Amino acid sequence: MKLVNKYVDKRGSGHVTLRPEDDEDMWHLYNLIQKGDFVRAPTIRRVQTISSTGSTDSHRVRLNLTLEVGAVEFSSSPAPSGTSSADPSNDQSASGLASTAALHIAGRVTSENQHVKLGAFHTLDVEANRDVRIEKADGWDSVALSRVEEAILPGKGAEVGAIVCGEGTAAFCLLSQHMTLVAHRISVHIPRKSGASGASQHEKALTKFYTTIYDAFLRHIPYSNPSLRAIIIASPGWVRDTVHDYMLSEATKRGDKTLYRALKDKAFRVHVNSAHVHSLVEVLKSPEVTTQLKETKFAREGVALDRFYKMLASDEMRAWYGPDHVAFAADRGAIGTLLISDELFRASEPAVRKKYVAIVEAVQQKGAEVVIFSSMHESGQQLNQLTGIAALLTFPLDVEVVEAEEREAEEERKQQEAQTDQASS
Amino acid sequence: MIRAVPPKKPAAKIMKQSVSATSSRASTPPITPKKGNKKLASMTKLAKSTSQSGTATPPRGVVADQRQLDLSGMNLGSKEDVTNVVEEPPKVAIAKEKLIEEVKKTMEAETQKKGLNLVVIGHVDAGKSTLMGRLLYELGRMDEKTKVANERGSNKAGKASFAWAWGLDGTAEERERGITMDIAMQYLSTPHRHITILDAPGHKEFIPNMISGAAQADCALLVVDASTGEFEAGFDRAGQTREHLILVRSLGVTQVVVAINKLDQVSWDQVRYGDICDLLRAFLIQSGFQPSRTKFVPVSAMQGVNLLSRQGDDAKPLRFWYDGPTLVDLLDKLEPPSRDIVAPLRIPISNIFKGQSAGIAVIGRICGGIVQVGERLRALPGDESGIVKMIEVEDKSVEWAASGTACTLHLISIDPVQLSIGTVLCAPSELVSLAMTFTARIIVFDIQIPITPGATVELFHHSRDLPATVSKLISTLDKGSGKVVKSNPRVLSKGLSAEVQISLRTSSLSGSVSTVKSIPIEPFSVNKEMGRILLRRGGETIAAGVVLALVG
Repeated sequence: MKLVNKYVDKRGSGHVTLRPEDDEDMWHLYNLIQKGDFVRAPTIRRVQTISSTGSTDSHRVRLNLTLEVGAVEFSSSPAPSGTSSADPSNDQSASGLASTAALHIAGRVTSENQHVKLGAFHTLDVEANRDVRIEKADGWDSVALSRVEEAILPGKGAEVGAIVCGEGTAAFCLLSQHMTLVAHRISVHIPRKSGASGASQHEKALTKFYTTIYDAFLRHIPYSNPSLRAIIIASPGWVRDTVHDYMLSEATKRGDKTLYRALKDKAFRVHVNSAHVHSLVEVLKSPEVTTQLKETKFAREGVALDRFYKMLASDEMRAWYGPDHVAFAADRGAIGTLLISDELFRASEPAVRKKYVAIVEAVQQKGAEVVIFSSMHESGQQLNQLTGIAALLTFPLDVEVVEAEEREAEEERKQQEAQTDQASS
Repeated sequence: MIRAVPPKKPAAKIMKQSVSATSSRASTPPITPKKGNKKLASMTKLAKSTSQSGTATPPRGVVADQRQLDLSGMNLGSKEDVTNVVEEPPKVAIAKEKLIEEVKKTMEAETQKKGLNLVVIGHVDAGKSTLMGRLLYELGRMDEKTKVANERGSNKAGKASFAWAWGLDGTAEERERGITMDIAMQYLSTPHRHITILDAPGHKEFIPNMISGAAQADCALLVVDASTGEFEAGFDRAGQTREHLILVRSLGVTQVVVAINKLDQVSWDQVRYGDICDLLRAFLIQSGFQPSRTKFVPVSAMQGVNLLSRQGDDAKPLRFWYDGPTLVDLLDKLEPPSRDIVAPLRIPISNIFKGQSAGIAVIGRICGGIVQVGERLRALPGDESGIVKMIEVEDKSVEWAASGTACTLHLISIDPVQLSIGTVLCAPSELVSLAMTFTARIIVFDIQIPITPGATVELFHHSRDLPATVSKLISTLDKGSGKVVKSNPRVLSKGLSAEVQISLRTSSLSGSVSTVKSIPIEPFSVNKEMGRILLRRGGETIAAGVVLALVG
């Protein structure tokens, strides 16, 4: 994403103009734009004119519109869902690596022009390489601004291509800093060995499966792209070795030197415990990957989440989760690392967002670490399941004791209020 | 393959019609007077008269007659058409009620051998496949030719010790690596039992496959390696001996035969045998097996000692101190659990392959009810249904198969794309329920990282595993009384018994929730075998439980 223009005053009001370039930028915009903001972007509107004779005429006009945002919708069209298809070649998306994410902003028009009346409803489809101006009345808080900073960092596209496979299933994932995209899925049925059918059906189906993987790899993983830093083949059992060897031998056979070199230089084989996509978290924890990619966002997130779970196992009093509990811990200055999902900042209530921003700022002021998880990564999804917020404490605190303290404080406050009420009356 | 049409078929058909007619007659009278619906009354009368007259017209009432009239008016009901219709797919031979009686009679018959499913479990390299290969040979299920071929093949590959195991480890990769990777299904026949053997892989990586086999089992045969250091490795916390035992127990297996294998390698040391038995016995009791239902037997699979008999020189040292039953004696005494044959039909599919004839073959164990040739079955999830063309049990074609039987069904007029492992076949009238979210009572195993709400797990249900989350921790329960100890616990740590809500997860990261497909599952109170679940995470089993209720 490119920063075209930025004006934010110290109160946090102002506007930022950004030029999105790829899917990830759409995701950034989705996280930046909130209900109540003013967004100006080029768009197409169908305009109807009624001539003096009463005949209607409609035509499409390209114009710039400013909306007061009512709703923002993000959709990244995921991998084709025909998961149980026996012949996956039919449902492969032809688009390949073309832009798949879309951002729709709906709201009422706030700037009138000759085609559109004030207050008319409109939905902006944000397009790549078209400037978007976002204006917030007083909403440019620290989280939003740091998001802008992150978004405009150069470094494009997928950094890691990963295949999570098992016998008969494979998911092709593309990981960039803020997004994991499941580009393609293969699910073929492999007959198991049995007395009646023997092993021949099993082996035939396996060979076909490997061929399918090879073809899908060519189509969905940008292996020739120099920005792709690693190709990970992860699986339980020995499937990853077989897949790796098959691809190497197939690349040699077909004389595909680029693929051969890419596999030789960038491919890792990582053991995971299940063939589901959520094993990506295990991939990101594995030593082979962390040493290679430790500065990437997804690796940091994976490590942070892992640390949280390990702490939960070893010292339950130092691993807290849930908005209320984490807020208590923040009040007591106990937080060492805050894990928070970007989903919480997308709350439609500005007050809720403010609450979380306040927690983040308070924690940062104390010099503690804050990791904002992207819910487009598997680790972020898992954090979302765990209420979206968790914290590693620097010293143990008993949840029940703290809860009791809070209750007491609450009661005291109420009593005081009652007393002041009485006194005033 | 077209089998001869049984002569009793037309008679049976008419009888079935009359059965349905009587039932409709029996059910209508209480309704008609209440509602005072004259039209309905006349309809039943009409139906009555047709059925009493004994004509071939189906007693379906006015609607069917009207249709037939229309058809005859169009001159379509020619004779050839009628015969064609009759000869089409194999018809259901007998009415359900009659069949149930027949099945009951057969099952109670003294002469009939009882069938049971046995899963063979144990740590990797304990000798499970070798023991089974040898047993198949001794009982005459593996012919001399196969045996010699396997010996020659394994010798060539430099793995002579795997000759017996090759009888079950059929795939190239299994033979090359010398380990079992997937369940192998074989049949044994002892004097009083038909045993379906499910030889499970012992390697940690393939526990999902082992679970698939254990879910189909009634009893278990645990094989342990008695040689020095090996037993300890397998019985260790990381070993599979413990995990397999806990898994089969959670999946409803109550009887275990423990075969202490490779005793020849410790020169048939009686003390060693005793030590191992004591250690295992304690663990079995702790895992919830009754001591009276666990049996121990010393064997040597390689030498074939104490499988069928203790003849020969190899068995000499054993004869000194052991005069108990042989392995086959013990297997012969295993009691199959009671089968519910009147329950709605449920067949969870564990394997699908192309049969020799047209159509598709599926393997599954019947979890309630009876299936017969010619029956139409619905496959869930999905919209497909198919007709049973042939039922194979132990490689023999049979007319029907009842609950508890592992059978191969050949289905026709079904789109195989709709079938996958984990699909449940059921009768179209009694469909299995589907759910994405359900509550379960679980027992948490010995885990390092406690279960938090939202924990990502793999849900194992029969032969299928799916990504899921523990979406809510409802309460922790007292193990003995089952009373609620604490509501809304923060985490579940090891050894706790708890009630939780489990939801299936979407497998795509960014997709909408609607992409989650519900799975066929039933509460434990409705069908025990359809209501058992296992939860795994990061390669270890973290909890086992039963489904309490389906949420949606």
